[in-house]
Amino acid sequence: MTHAAPLLTLDHLVTGSRGTVVHVAPGNPADGSDLARRLMELGFVPGEKIRVLKRGMPGGEPLAIKVGNSTFALRRFEAALVSIQPE
Amino acid sequence: MGASDKPVTAVAQQPMVALLGNPNCGKTALFNRLTGARQKVANYAGVTIERKEGHFTSPGGHPFRLLDLPGAYSLSAHTPDEEITRDVVAGLRQGETAPDVVVCVVDATNLRLNLRLVLEIKRLGLPMVLALNMVDVARKRGLSIDAARLSQELGMTVVETVAVQGGGEKSLLAALDAMWPLQHVQSNPLSAIDAVPVEETQREVRRILALVSNDTHDKGNLSEKIDDVVLHPVLGPIILAVLMFLVFQAVFTWAQPPMDAIKNGVDGLGELIKANMADGLLRSLLVEGIMGGAGSVLVFLPQILILFFFILILEDCGYLPRAAFLLDRLMGGVGLSGRAFIPLLSSFACAVPGIMAARTIQNPRDRLVTIMIAPLMTCSARLPIYALIIAAFIPEREVGGFMSLQGLVLFALYVAGIVSAMAVAYFFKRTLGANTQQPLMLELPSYHWPHLRNLALGLWERCKIFLSRVGTIILTLMVLLWALSSFPGAPEGATHPAIYYSVAGMLGRGLEVIFAPIGFNWQISIALVPGLAAREVAVGALGTVYALSQTGEELASSLTPIIAHSWALPTALSLLAWYVFAPQCMSTLSVVRRETNSLRYPLLMAGYMFALAYVAAFLTYRISLYLVGA
Repeated sequence: MTHAAPLLTLDHLVTGSRGTVVHVAPGNPADGSDLARRLMELGFVPGEKIRVLKRGMPGGEPLAIKVGNSTFALRRFEAALVSIQPE
Repeated sequence: MGASDKPVTAVAQQPMVALLGNPNCGKTALFNRLTGARQKVANYAGVTIERKEGHFTSPGGHPFRLLDLPGAYSLSAHTPDEEITRDVVAGLRQGETAPDVVVCVVDATNLRLNLRLVLEIKRLGLPMVLALNMVDVARKRGLSIDAARLSQELGMTVVETVAVQGGGEKSLLAALDAMWPLQHVQSNPLSAIDAVPVEETQREVRRILALVSNDTHDKGNLSEKIDDVVLHPVLGPIILAVLMFLVFQAVFTWAQPPMDAIKNGVDGLGELIKANMADGLLRSLLVEGIMGGAGSVLVFLPQILILFFFILILEDCGYLPRAAFLLDRLMGGVGLSGRAFIPLLSSFACAVPGIMAARTIQNPRDRLVTIMIAPLMTCSARLPIYALIIAAFIPEREVGGFMSLQGLVLFALYVAGIVSAMAVAYFFKRTLGANTQQPLMLELPSYHWPHLRNLALGLWERCKIFLSRVGTIILTLMVLLWALSSFPGAPEGATHPAIYYSVAGMLGRGLEVIFAPIGFNWQISIALVPGLAAREVAVGALGTVYALSQTGEELASSLTPIIAHSWALPTALSLLAWYVFAPQCMSTLSVVRRETNSLRYPLLMAGYMFALAYVAAFLTYRISLYLVGA
């Protein structure tokens, strides 16, 4: 509970960094799909540990994220919905 | 027997067991293990999602039907596949029997993800068995799971299975026997699932995991080490390119011996018939129509099987999603999702399964664009045409010491298809508008060794599909074409071969006006008519056309030297260019019709592809004429 590092969204983490999911923001509801719910169903639930395994080239997209024991590839804007408490 | 008054029903003679689980949990391997070759692949009514049903008899002597439901991460259903799974399991889908038992298959190495779905399904209140699959892999990783405790926590039978090992299904069979006699239970409404938020379900998963497993946290594993190389920004794309290139070289070289064997067999049979039958209409039908037609298509079965061999292995070992990862930026640039890679790669074998696989793309616009460009991927039905022309016109020469010139030309044709697909996708992206960002959310599963049994079953399935096409559509068309080419016969004192005067000859001569500017003669024009039904038919059609236009001895000899003599090089190249684009496949167009539920898109597809084909063939013909110096 001492001064924790400020929250970052997942897309701002560098390869190899770890953290804990704090919050998943609702995505753009215009296209009808509930991105936040889907991300949570894939395991991006508050309290889960994540690790950035890889970032694609060029432009650091997509990101390969390990959450729990699974690995998912996310595009940058999807990753931006997930707030992380970095370790 | 009476009208159904009560939901409490006795279970039918053969209870229905549904296999349900996350993608990549080994569910289909378990299905194959339980049913062996006793399976039937069809589509769900009204949609084109693959429906796999099989049957088996348990050691206790009870017969069961088994349904392999599409993989799902959640029953809240974000994809059409997941909708099917949800509706079938809840007994809401018309024409489907609601399952009597749900076997939830989970990857024992990844309970953290898989158990969430189990808890969701449990809320439906159906009889359930949990199959802890891949326990062998879990043990090897030092992961122990207390199955008894898990069973207690979940309130359902938990069994350990190893789907890729003989006997690995025994415990599941015993559990099903123990449930006998079964009583059919009506599912709770789906709203029961949404009643609990995902966060809460996950808390429950964590609580259970803490009790039943020594789930040590994320310390990296072999898959990650492999990914360090395979997903490396420089090495990754190189590996991908080399892999694809090797596949194409193999398709051309490995397939040669079995192809020669099939060709010799068919030729020998034709000779045998000719030696033992009087000359006449029936002999002509047998030798020219049936043997010459279907036989020359059958010859390409080895190439198709080799191509599928590679696609199935890459899929089975977990490489395909990595390829999608590597290509996501590139695909995103033209408005496609990295997920489109898998449908498009499948389209290299056949656009029909490729277009169906496009259902895994959630966004309707992305899906539509993927469907529209899928037929531009060089499908295996084009191989017979390409192989024939390349063998006849491209010299067999080594380039750079290890590549064959023929292989290089084939590779170039594949590249032409890919590049034009990207261009068309970019065009659609611009015209269909709505340039919103599309989600990817692609799982990169752990690598594992491809399993021979599953590979063999997969190949057998493809083989059956291809042969039944040869046996039905193609053979019918070959016989029809033979009739068109044989009647009416040549008049007295004819100066041309008999086919020139037949119905097919008249049609071909009529079409020649349209096709002459791109270098096609009337023989090719005739072959394109039945070739509208399916691309590979054109080869058989050429065989028939040329076999019938010859006189005497040359009849049964192979097509390659004939066309090498009678076509100019620009004509051959023009035909190659034509086939990169021409939408000559009724199955593809009818699948597009069904998938998009509209006539507009198949018509649009046929229109744009014919236009591209004509322009490409015209340019190829004119430019090569100029280069050849004619």
